[in-house]
Amino acid sequence: MTPFRTVAGVFAAIQTVKAGAAGFCTNFFPDGQKLQDWVERNELHGESCAGALFLFRRDHDFSRLYFCAASPAALRAGIATLAGLRNERIVVDLVGKESAPGEIFLALEAAGFRRYQQLCRMARPGQSALQAAGGAELPVTLAGHADVPAILALLEGAFDRYAEQLPLTAEIENAVASGQIFVVRLEGVLAGLLFFETQGVTSILRYWLVAEAFRARHVGAALMRHYLATQSTVRRFLLWVIASNDNAVQKYRRYGFVPDGLVDHVLASEPIYNENHR
Amino acid sequence: MKTIADILKEIRPEFDFTTSTDFKADGMLDSFDMVTLVATLDKTYGISISGADIVPENFQNLETIAALLRKNGVQP
Repeated sequence: MTPFRTVAGVFAAIQTVKAGAAGFCTNFFPDGQKLQDWVERNELHGESCAGALFLFRRDHDFSRLYFCAASPAALRAGIATLAGLRNERIVVDLVGKESAPGEIFLALEAAGFRRYQQLCRMARPGQSALQAAGGAELPVTLAGHADVPAILALLEGAFDRYAEQLPLTAEIENAVASGQIFVVRLEGVLAGLLFFETQGVTSILRYWLVAEAFRARHVGAALMRHYLATQSTVRRFLLWVIASNDNAVQKYRRYGFVPDGLVDHVLASEPIYNENHR
Repeated sequence: MKTIADILKEIRPEFDFTTSTDFKADGMLDSFDMVTLVATLDKTYGISISGADIVPENFQNLETIAALLRKNGVQP
């Protein structure tokens, strides 16, 4: 595999797949800044073959696989040539409408990937009235640099790193510096956090979490109400949640979020699948 | 025939696309919306936008999308 040293190199490699192709299928939709960060941190490696490019991004103790292919058939043929894929710890995200992902899924399944988890996207208009009450008296502040280790520990203790795209320390530090993490502190410790990314008129709620010891004390409500109230120019709020997590889905519904039909099928290679489905 | 602004409005009715010169920077169009937009443009105008042209700069604003349609033989 070849490491990518520049963002331009990534786009050039993608272009070789697109050039002359009648079609194109991919699961690679990187945000410009994120792609820059991945390249700078030397996390992104690629391997290409006729009609397909495979990009591997190191994430914690496993890799995320992205593909760009001229067709599902090219994807299937290309992925079969990757040596040792079945023994590696790899996760693939396939985002699409709720219907079965079809040929692309079958190509990945043939290469040894199995359904691991499913996330659904939920959306909320910017000007919805808030109905949920509670938490108004709790002080919500922006996270500071000193909070980074506690934020990381809370996130890693509560979320599934394979399915939920957990941030690394550097990403949390950047979010803190950009004012994108709200926290509630109680009894001198971090009781809860809300991590978001607002760009223009869209805001993505990435993580909303209350530490176990502080649940049922309206910490979550305080964070959510503060978040929604402070993003006054936002017209669309989005989030991804594990579709089978009824408790979380219900909580989001209470704040006006509804599924918008987009689904993320998370597939995992057998070492990860077996580790979590014994 | 629907205009580009009509099509965008159907995909993301909450936004006014005529006020923006950079849909992505203004948070109006993400990568997933772009995929929907390409499929809708193909269907509406009876064209097949090349994979090589599905890049963010071609979907930056109404002007760049119009230029992409012209490249595909459509006068929007």
